[in-house]
This record gives sequence, C-alpha cells and structure tokens, in this order.
Amino acid sequence: MIELTNLTKRYGDKTAVDDLTLRLEPGSVTGFLGPNGAGKSTTMRLILGLDAPTSGTALIGGLRYTDLERPLTTVGALLDAKAVHPGRSGRDHLRAMARSQRIPARRVDEVLERTGMTDAARRRAGTYSLGMSQRLGIAGALLGDPQVLMLDEPVNGLDPDGVTWIRTLLRGLAAEGRTVFVSSHLMSEMQQTADRLVVLGRGQLIADAPMSELLTATGSRVRGPGLEALAERLDDVRWTGDDELTVPGVRPEEVGALAHELGLLLHRLEATEPTLEESYMSLTADAVEYTAGGVA
Amino acid sequence: MSALPAVRTGLGDAIAAEWIKLWSLRSTWWYLGGAAAVVVLTSLLESGDGDPTTPDALTPVLGAVSYFVQYILAVFGIVAITGEIATRSITVTMACTPRRTWIMAAKALVVGAVVLGASLLVTGGGLLLTAARFGEVALVDGTQAETVLAASVYLALLAVFSLGLATLVRRTAGALAIMLLLLLMVPELLRLLSERVDAPWINTVGDWTPSPIGWRLMEGQWADGLALLAWAGAAIAAAIWVLRRRDA
Repeated sequence: MIELTNLTKRYGDKTAVDDLTLRLEPGSVTGFLGPNGAGKSTTMRLILGLDAPTSGTALIGGLRYTDLERPLTTVGALLDAKAVHPGRSGRDHLRAMARSQRIPARRVDEVLERTGMTDAARRRAGTYSLGMSQRLGIAGALLGDPQVLMLDEPVNGLDPDGVTWIRTLLRGLAAEGRTVFVSSHLMSEMQQTADRLVVLGRGQLIADAPMSELLTATGSRVRGPGLEALAERLDDVRWTGDDELTVPGVRPEEVGALAHELGLLLHRLEATEPTLEESYMSLTADAVEYTAGGVA
Repeated sequence: MSALPAVRTGLGDAIAAEWIKLWSLRSTWWYLGGAAAVVVLTSLLESGDGDPTTPDALTPVLGAVSYFVQYILAVFGIVAITGEIATRSITVTMACTPRRTWIMAAKALVVGAVVLGASLLVTGGGLLLTAARFGEVALVDGTQAETVLAASVYLALLAVFSLGLATLVRRTAGALAIMLLLLLMVPELLRLLSERVDAPWINTVGDWTPSPIGWRLMEGQWADGLALLAWAGAAIAAAIWVLRRRDA
C-alpha cells in the first residue's frame, strides 16, 4: 500500500533519510524504530508530501500523497499532536478537517467518541494535556476511515490506560485489514503491538523483519550447587551469581533435561524474557548519533 | 470497506474549511470587533468643529480607517497564515488540502470576503452614526456611499496583500513591521528622496504603494484600484510559489 523507493532527503549537507526502500503491507502493524535523529519523522513527512524528497519516491497506492483525491480517506496521519491551533476547540479543528474533503460531519462525533474525547471536544485545544492532544490527533487520523494509518509516537504523553487503549486500537485497525505504520521509541510497546519492525539509523534502513525474528530467543536462568558441569555442556553461558547461570537462547525445558541427565540438583530454573530492547540496541549501536541538539 | 461516499472535492471545499477555521477562533471577533469599536468611538467623538454647519459625516470614518482600522485588518490578514505556521497546524491544513494553490486561494478569498463584508458594515455604520448625530441621515449621498465602498475594497485588498506577504515572511511581527513600513514610511521617504535628488519619478513610485492608492480609491479614482488588486494578486502568487517549493 505504501511504497518507498530509494527515498532520500537532505537538508543542506545533512542526510535525514538515505536511500530508503520499503513496502508496507495491509493488515499488519509495522513498528518504526530508531534513535532520535534517525529520520523516522522525516520519512513520515515525506510520505505526506509535507517535505519534498531530494530524490526517490513515496507512493500510496501508486500515487503521491499530493495527488490523492480526499487524502484523509486514504491515509490518516498523526505527526505532531500539538500541531493544533490552541484557540480552536478540538471539535472545530476536526470539523474543518472533515469539511475540507466532504467527510460527513457525523464522523467528527464518531471519532471523538472512539477516542474518548467527546467531553473535552468543545474546549479550546490550548487547554489540552499532551495525552488529550494525542487522542485528538488520533481522532483526526481516523476521521476519513482510511486504509492506511501513520502515527508518529502516538503513546507519547498517554497514561497507562491510554497506552493500553492505543495498543488495542492499533491491533483492531490492523485486524480490519488496514495498514498501520507507527513509530515509537518504546521498545516494550512495539514488542506488544507490532507484527513487523522497520529499524532506521542515520536515515538508513538497519532492519526490516517480522517481530519474531528480531526478538532474542527465550533463554534460561538456573541456580543450584555444582553447575560447572552444566556450564561445560552448554555454549555461551554467563555466570550471573556464585551459583547462578544465565543461558541465552536455551529454553528452560532443555536446561532442566540436561541437568537431570547430569544428576544435578537445581534450586531454581526460570525462563528469561526475550527482549526487543537488546536486539534493538545491538542493531542501532552504530547508528546512534550523539549530537547536541540533534533533530528528531 | 470505506463507508464514505465517493465524491470529488474542489476549491469550494477548501474555502468551506477555511471559513470554519476563521469563525472558530475567538481572535476573529476581537479583530473585527476592534475595528468596529474604533469606528464607533471616533464617530461618537467627532465634534464637527472644523465646520460646524456642514460636518462631513465621513471624516471620523476615514480617520479611523487611516489611523487604526487598516492596521488591525492587516494583522487579521497576517495571522490567518502565521497563526497556522506558528502552531504548525499548517501541516494539518496541508495534509487535508495537499494542493498549496487551493490553500492559498481559499485563504485569500475568505480573508478578502470577510474583511470586505465587515468593512462595509463598520464604515457604513460609522457614516450613518455620525450623520445621525448631526441630524443629517437624509443628507447621506451617493458619493459618501461610494467612498464607504471604496474604503472597504481598500481594506479587503490590503488584508489579502498582508496574508500573502505574511506567508513569505512566516512571522507575525516581521510581516507587521513590513506593513507599517510600507503603509506609513515608504511613500513619505520616497517623496523626500525625490525632492532631495530632484527625481520626480521616485515620488511617482511612492504614489503607487498601497496607502496612496487607497486614498485615490476613496476619492473615486476606481481605476487606480486595479493597481492595489495587482499588489494583492502578486503577493498571493508569490505565496503560492513559495508554499509549493518550501518544506512545511
């Protein structure tokens, strides 16, 4: 549905997005990860035609965003929750958006209801908390009932209930067959929401793979006397205590069977959670740019 | 899967959206109400001292327009775009209406129409108010009505010009500074310069800046209004050009 081909954006001598080629498929949540300044927001701005690419193309269903008829009915986007005039009510903000492409006015109340913003909708947007602004932004993205949703850091500023709500919403939207493209710096959030991860660093594609491939496999932690014998039989073990071993990539069932075979007494055996955090860190370690005042 | 009916959209929809945006801001009422208040106040304060027997009921209206109202409405035109740039809500406008030409055209038409309508009400009301105070409503003539119309056309085109200029400048303060310079100082500076270097053509250039054109317009020289239309049109054309090229 969304197709980026050799997409490149330079600002002066800084390359924000570097030769990015990517296809986003319907019916899945694609997580867009990367350190600050990696080019995630710029990529989304290029897709929306807010910035013009230096080279390459960003197409939605074969068309550039700027050539879409009634674009909100094709792509719903939330790039910057605070990009609302503070003097206008949330409802009027959505009414103007809807009117610009003849989306029926009743949709405004529907999306306000769906995002839990009905009560706050008549207040001026300048009085909203960041979490309320995010909800209003998501309401705007849903307004045109689009096939593609593109959200930049939507959980930013949301309370735990809001985070759960977003997760359920995004999964639901993908289940309806929509293409959901969501960026976040919260690895744990992506782990629970996304089907597929696209990792960006220094504007370049670092990884593009199903979530399962990027998760470190389940490992084990085992405690007991005389574990040296166990350590000898396993590759890549770490001593994490006087009588504690951590065994990445080997499930507790296997460790337990091996300990039984060796006749070892175990005091404790547990699974270690797979973390996306670790794989993400190792993937982006080279790509992190520690520049003072770097742009996101 | 979309339940929304397939329809085509056009400039009219962009205009309708701009209309909603304009009237959903309290500040719109402050600008237009402020302009009205200034005209009412000067009309009430007009003593008719200059010539007590036949005070021109237009004097306070024209005074208010030249000293206050034109600046208030120029800022009204400026913030129609800088308000969106400063809050970055321009990105939402562009996401809704990706054609920059439509955005700018819609804003120009809405700002122009609203200022024209409001100015007609305000200047016409000021004229009638002053005339009523001097018991001369029956004496309001066609020439005075024509002047009210000319003043309103001037204010509308000036607001549209301000909108275009502000799109280029991007900042409220910068655009206002340029407007003050252009309206207050440029004609006078050019006049002084032309006398100093004895080059009358420099003064002629000054005569074709917006405020002198505006005065001739109000004196009934309607053809000169085309020059003001050209100023506004050029500013909007430049704004469209920049909006299409510049990253949002």
